[in-house]
Amino acid sequence: MAAANESRGSKGLNGKDPNLATLLTWLVPGAGHLYLGNFKFALFAFLVVDGIFLLGFTLSGGATVEFLDPELRGRFALALTPEAGNLGGLLWILNETGFPNIPITPRAWPTWVMEGGILTALAGLLNILVMVRVNLDARTTPEQRRRTLSPTLAAGLTWLIPGLGHLLQGRRLRAFVIFALLVGAFAAGTFLAEGSNLSRERHFYYWSGQFFLGLPSLLTEIISGRPPVTGPIRSVDAGLTFGCIAGLLNILAMLDAFRFGEAEVLGERTIDSEPRRPSVAEVQS
Amino acid sequence: MDLWVHLALFVLLAIPIVVLGAFYSELDDKAALASIPRKMAVFLFSCGLLTAVMLFCEHTFASVN
Repeated sequence: MAAANESRGSKGLNGKDPNLATLLTWLVPGAGHLYLGNFKFALFAFLVVDGIFLLGFTLSGGATVEFLDPELRGRFALALTPEAGNLGGLLWILNETGFPNIPITPRAWPTWVMEGGILTALAGLLNILVMVRVNLDARTTPEQRRRTLSPTLAAGLTWLIPGLGHLLQGRRLRAFVIFALLVGAFAAGTFLAEGSNLSRERHFYYWSGQFFLGLPSLLTEIISGRPPVTGPIRSVDAGLTFGCIAGLLNILAMLDAFRFGEAEVLGERTIDSEPRRPSVAEVQS
Repeated sequence: MDLWVHLALFVLLAIPIVVLGAFYSELDDKAALASIPRKMAVFLFSCGLLTAVMLFCEHTFASVN
């Protein structure tokens, strides 16, 4: 078991624990890299993730959590949102809004509440990527990581556009199939739901799943202006399911892109029929 | 909505679920694509079985008749 773990690079270098580094990052963006001694990246991650989070929270006034129906506002109700990727930010939201004990008083939403909600969700996603990166950084040397496209970047690009990370890893067929199926499922869902799936206010949890489809879902939401519902929608349940499943399946695609890159970084053969490509550094030497 | 439309939408959504599952379990594209028909059959059969169990439970424990 220990030998297997060692070959997968699951042990930390220099006595640093990858799991502790990941946990620290979950609590405070950049804290894991600070633990590893990478001060520059720690500061960068902290400023970017929490900067985006604070901008989003300020724009939304914390009202995003009020989209959730009062009967669903349990203590752990926000654990199923992208914001949960940034635990410090999530605790900030709970502290500032008093969730779940928010008084139910009708009021107008802040002007930028939707955009603010997208930014706080984005901060959660970015912190998940920082967590993934710090875990890999704790297990591998800079020389190993220079072998190929960063696995974390591949996962992040796959979130942005489904299949993009795979395309840059040289897996064109897989990239095309993933893009066509996931964007196709999202488009079919939007058609069936007549665009009602494009609002976090209307469908809080379905939106959270759909958020993981990245630009295709966010651009459609922003460009469409979130069309109003003017009557009963016959296939709304099917449409919401299609959109949400497309986003959740993209998480699987992100994991696949990361795993492929990780195997390359660790020097493992990734595909039986194709030996690992030599890195730029290996070719030059 | 018509039952057949529901079934058609279910099969349509099963395609990305099964294909992404196949890609995740196989790093080699050829092996992943080759495993899709078997995985699709297993997925549809399992969902059918689960539906049958749920319908049985509904008729047995939740019927108003």
